[in-house]
Amino acid sequence: MYHYTEFDRRFVRARAAQYRDQLERHLRGELSTDDFRALRLQNGWYVQRHAPMLRVAIPYGELSSRQLRQLARIAREYDVVSDGPFAGHGGYGHFTTRQNLQFNWIPLDKSADVMDLLAEVDMHGIQTSGNCIRNITSDAFAGIAPDEIVDPRPYCEILRQWSTLHPEFAHLPRKFKIAISGAAEDRAAIGWHDVGLQLKKNAAGEVGFQVFVGGGMGRTPIPGVEINAFVPWQQILVYLEAIVRVYNLAGRRDNLYKARIKILVKAEGQKFFDDVNEEFARILADDPAGHEQIIPQAELDRVAASFVDPAGAAPAADAVLDTADTAFARWLSRNVHGHRVSGYRAVTLSLKRVGIPPGDTSADVMDTAAALADQFSHGELRVTHRQNLVLPWVKTSDLPALFQAARAAGFATANAGLLTDQIACPGGDYCALANARSLPLAAEIAERYQDADELEDLGEIDLHISGCINSCGHHHSGHIGVLGVDKDGAEWYQLTLGGSDGSTLSGATAPGKVIGPSFAADEIADAIDAVLETFKRERQAGERFIDAVKRLGLDSFKTAANAVRVSTARAQA
Amino acid sequence: MKFINPTTCPWKHAIGEDGPKPDPDPAPHRLLTLEQWRAVRAHWPQDVPVAIEFPNDADIHQLAPDLHRIALVVLDFPKWTDGRAYSQAHLLRIRHKYTGAIRATGQVLVDMMQLLARTGFDEVVLRGDQSQAVAQKALELFAPVGFYQGDVSETRPWFLRSAA
Repeated sequence: MYHYTEFDRRFVRARAAQYRDQLERHLRGELSTDDFRALRLQNGWYVQRHAPMLRVAIPYGELSSRQLRQLARIAREYDVVSDGPFAGHGGYGHFTTRQNLQFNWIPLDKSADVMDLLAEVDMHGIQTSGNCIRNITSDAFAGIAPDEIVDPRPYCEILRQWSTLHPEFAHLPRKFKIAISGAAEDRAAIGWHDVGLQLKKNAAGEVGFQVFVGGGMGRTPIPGVEINAFVPWQQILVYLEAIVRVYNLAGRRDNLYKARIKILVKAEGQKFFDDVNEEFARILADDPAGHEQIIPQAELDRVAASFVDPAGAAPAADAVLDTADTAFARWLSRNVHGHRVSGYRAVTLSLKRVGIPPGDTSADVMDTAAALADQFSHGELRVTHRQNLVLPWVKTSDLPALFQAARAAGFATANAGLLTDQIACPGGDYCALANARSLPLAAEIAERYQDADELEDLGEIDLHISGCINSCGHHHSGHIGVLGVDKDGAEWYQLTLGGSDGSTLSGATAPGKVIGPSFAADEIADAIDAVLETFKRERQAGERFIDAVKRLGLDSFKTAANAVRVSTARAQA
Repeated sequence: MKFINPTTCPWKHAIGEDGPKPDPDPAPHRLLTLEQWRAVRAHWPQDVPVAIEFPNDADIHQLAPDLHRIALVVLDFPKWTDGRAYSQAHLLRIRHKYTGAIRATGQVLVDMMQLLARTGFDEVVLRGDQSQAVAQKALELFAPVGFYQGDVSETRPWFLRSAA
């Protein structure tokens, strides 16, 4: 993990002090609600349906047990509703698809105290919201994946530092998300980001970035396109400066829904590429400060020194495991992942449990996960794009004990990558933007599909649920995507099939296609059932859901889903 | 950072009875719109410095040939969250080595002070309800710490400063 320097610590404390000053001026009436909005957003504070929401950055998904315990403390002591209609709510956090943790019930007047507590453990909410460069995300298996080409974490950290309180890029036309992958398999959905960076080695063995730009979800889902096949790693900050400057100056600001960089890239096409590449060349040629943005080897080495294997984690022979217990065997095959270091595995702690919204984690559960990390993973955890936790350093000989402990704590649902490992945003239950609730549907799916054999039989399926077109639940990239829409005050759900996050399994980054008009709230789970039944009936031997959708097209799924429209029929009668 | 009171500021608009004069006569301390400047730049005396009000959606590079006779560039914040002028100021300072004054006008809040200073502004006209004392304080907030990236006054990022 990255080790904060004294400078990093003083910086985060200065930011917390700055926020406290802004909050106090706001509470005294010297800073209006309107003017305060952009300031609190850039520190992670939203005002939501019932209460403020705090989004804490977990930079590129790396989390220590010490940090997780502090997050548990914040959940327990600050995320508390003591009176009013929601008395008793709170006490938990929600892990998001972008490696953040959200608290839903912290009162705004306590927000500066919470920032101080975060700063105590080298954490913050800087730029987790607002129209700025957001928390930089990466592969949850960074540094340990067997298919890794280059460890992305040192670059992630250098980019985190570069983007933090960047004075020129603090008020962009819209939010700006960067994801970095360093492996053969893209586990960071880089094609869906404003900038996606793929680490590569060229023929000479030199490291650089393939740069994609203009990806994004929302109203207009567009996969990113390659703007540069290979930017040497030393120049990546300069290249990003060029992209973000062109966007800052030329991106649309007249229409919120057309302000993302994807719209600029789409509208200008080659001209955008030319503008960026010319700006990049001019920074290097003309700007006295240009060369100072080139990352020296010494800086990469300094940061990379934080990302070494934990002390005592040495390669060993794999333990021979007794897999007579089918539950254990299934957990091994689903939730236990390959590791770069022999004798080790990465283990998914599933946060997808019946009765609990995807990603939600109570203070006690956080403490339990921290204890498991201490006992089995050198105190280290990862937060995944799929809203789970990962223990990255588990000895094969510890797997039976970890399985028992994880099962006792409710983390051992062996569903990683399966239907019920679904992604869902908090939806209309909490979010002020949502058109419909996501969590009741997620709960219904979790309830209906508890049979492990049935789940295995269905195979890998990405089910993604968003409560509105902002797409926090990534419905566009789901093999099955569900989007909540509002029709005359009622909740309806649009169903899409065939979306891809860009992984090998899912194919090239692509949004799913809508099958027919929206379904009523009491139809959507049945519609998903109908789609899955159709898949079971029409699939070829060993065929995965996404492949079947690609082969069969939408019609048979659409016909089956339409047959469940009982409420729709009644409403139209 | 200089805090400017527009009523006592020597730079004055060239305004006629029907708004900005389309073709103002050369005079010292003229504050011209970009449109006015385009109309007069060809015959404007080389030894009379001007101030230009530059909109935030125009290409700042077009000022490059004239910068030696521009004493002040006034950049606009139509909303305080519209950050285009930060890039314009940065480009004036870093790309074009402009050494005259750069002033922020419009919706200028005390909480923008650091961003302004770091991108090359050295004058501000604060919005009417903003406090100069709070603005001064805001400028000092990170002074004992510093920032990660370089900026116009300290072009070296922290990784170069710390290694020096």
